Amino acid sequence: MKDERVLAHCNLFGVLGAIPYLLELDPAARELVNEKSLSLGFAIKDGPRATLRFANGAAEMTEGIERCSIKLYFSSCKKFNDMIDGKGNPLPVSGFWHIGFLLGAFTKLTDLLSAYLRPEPSRLEDPVFFERSTVLMLHVIASAVAEVGNYDRVGSFSASNIVDGVIRLSIGDTLSVGVRAKDHKLTAIHTDPGEGFSEMRFANLKTARDLFDGRINAVAAVGMGEVRIGGMISQVDNVNRILDRVSLYLA
Amino acid sequence: MRKLNDYTKSREAFDRAVKVIPSGIYGHQGPAEGCYVPVEAFPLFSSRAQGSYLWDADGNRFIDYMCAYGPNILGYHDPDVDAAAAKQRAISDCTTLPNTVMVDFAELLVDTVACADWAFFAKNGNDVTTLAIMAARAYTHRKKIVFFKGYYHGVSPWTQKIDYAGVIEEDVMHNIYVEWNNYEQLEAVFEEYQGEIAAVIGQPYMHGNFMDNVLPATGFWQKVRKKCTEEGTVLVVDDVRAGFRLDLAGSDHYFGFEADLICFCKALANGYNVSALCGKEFLKNTISSMSYTGSYWLSAVPFAAGIACIEKMKKINCPKLLDEQGTKLKNGLLEAAKKYSFDLHVTGAPSLFYLRIADDPSLKLHQEWIAECVKRGVFFTNHHNHFINASLTDDDIKETVEIAAEAFEVVRGCHPL
Repeated sequence: MKDERVLAHCNLFGVLGAIPYLLELDPAARELVNEKSLSLGFAIKDGPRATLRFANGAAEMTEGIERCSIKLYFSSCKKFNDMIDGKGNPLPVSGFWHIGFLLGAFTKLTDLLSAYLRPEPSRLEDPVFFERSTVLMLHVIASAVAEVGNYDRVGSFSASNIVDGVIRLSIGDTLSVGVRAKDHKLTAIHTDPGEGFSEMRFANLKTARDLFDGRINAVAAVGMGEVRIGGMISQVDNVNRILDRVSLYLA
Repeated sequence: MRKLNDYTKSREAFDRAVKVIPSGIYGHQGPAEGCYVPVEAFPLFSSRAQGSYLWDADGNRFIDYMCAYGPNILGYHDPDVDAAAAKQRAISDCTTLPNTVMVDFAELLVDTVACADWAFFAKNGNDVTTLAIMAARAYTHRKKIVFFKGYYHGVSPWTQKIDYAGVIEEDVMHNIYVEWNNYEQLEAVFEEYQGEIAAVIGQPYMHGNFMDNVLPATGFWQKVRKKCTEEGTVLVVDDVRAGFRLDLAGSDHYFGFEADLICFCKALANGYNVSALCGKEFLKNTISSMSYTGSYWLSAVPFAAGIACIEKMKKINCPKLLDEQGTKLKNGLLEAAKKYSFDLHVTGAPSLFYLRIADDPSLKLHQEWIAECVKRGVFFTNHHNHFINASLTDDDIKETVEIAAEAFEVVRGCHPL
């Protein structure tokens, strides 16, 4: 069963948290915010809070909503999740003079993000789009693993069995990200964490994509040599259990 | 340096398998759960087995220290066990009425296993651990079960955890987990759930994965036994893995206490398919009242094999033999590791030894070494305990140590001091 609060964490830090990587990957996305220097705070009642700061065509997300140019308030996690699902529009409670950005550039940016994260099958035939989409999904997954491991009841049981250290997740030589476990709390790492305490390496973008989309199974893929595991495999095993929960939230 | 194995045929078979069997090879004998790192270092399918040896699909011979994950205790194709099975097969096996060999087998177990007043037969370890828990609940009319962390009691939902695929909260909501060897924690749990705990279930010692195996602390089991008796809780020993490798009278007997229920499988019939739950008289009526059976559970051939297996284990004093051979192997491996400056830990009982190179806590170094051993014909696995069988010779141990040393040399070459 989905917990709206956990879903809000996944949507905020996983989905919207992927915007900085979208800007790195797609010049068209960068173009939308190139001249912008402002920050967008998300305040969700009984849920997470974070600020997305834009500057010089890049963005970063940080926890908390201190000193943001525009503050968006959501009266419940469900309201925020509905907004992410396209069922509602955000209303600012401060920074009204930036509403143009919210309704213009930011909306276009989130539309672009949705196009990559929920792609039309035909668009995946374009290798550039395919790579960007898959790389973005890995970023979303890394964040969502941390959120589900920290906040979902079943996910936190899995996290309680993860020993300290970094789990490195790689797609061939294209990208490496990580999840750091410390005292059973998980943090996503969106840069190459170097040699992990354990690792799960997808042979290539196609294997990663097939796994993300549920077309192949990780256990079978290990046997086929398409997914490599190594190091403290109990970490990988438990991250896989969390991934199963992530798919429930991000399906 | 030895020639390295080629696994072309294993790989071809796996490619076929994965098309028609979920994950190709599922469970503990599969490359994922078996932690085959890297997968190319390991054979995937066997072609035949004899004594301590296993030949893979490509014809590579291995000295097999997994022993089918335990069932091979006398050696693959032990002539005495196979002869008894063949003789029974010529008479009857799976029939409408059970053969009296079933009674013979039960009598033998009652005579052999210290805590046994009766025996109930099934097929797999999971069948009898599940029966034990159901019986404890039926007898006590309580729900809660206490487990020791690092446990493995099978694959039924009650044995799994809340985050396992297909397991729902209700399956495990009465499971309570305590640290192995932590009696104070167990006592606290009894305090918290007074009158609610149906059973305490434990393997005779902690043989969990990814960590050194841990024997019971002095007096631990005796305190657990006393507490269970005081609280009216059934004490279940899951001896599926260690059974008959430590003590033919049961691993509870080996550690100086008495279980109420004890579960056997793996080594019970040297690979013939049978498991047994043995227990004390006071639980016999409870078991009698339960609806619990299976299509092949009363087949006669495994009973005949089990009788021959137990009689032979008694004749050769199997636990002592396994301990001696396991100790020789342990000493040889430790010496080889030392020569190449590796801190190898060999833990658990020598007959069920667990290996870990402790220089690298991430276990990557360990995985490299295991891979080099397997490629050269010694079948070790990365993070599961191993098994000694009675057909293992001194020459096999010598060859194993030589291969292990060569593997250490290769790994040291990649990681110079």
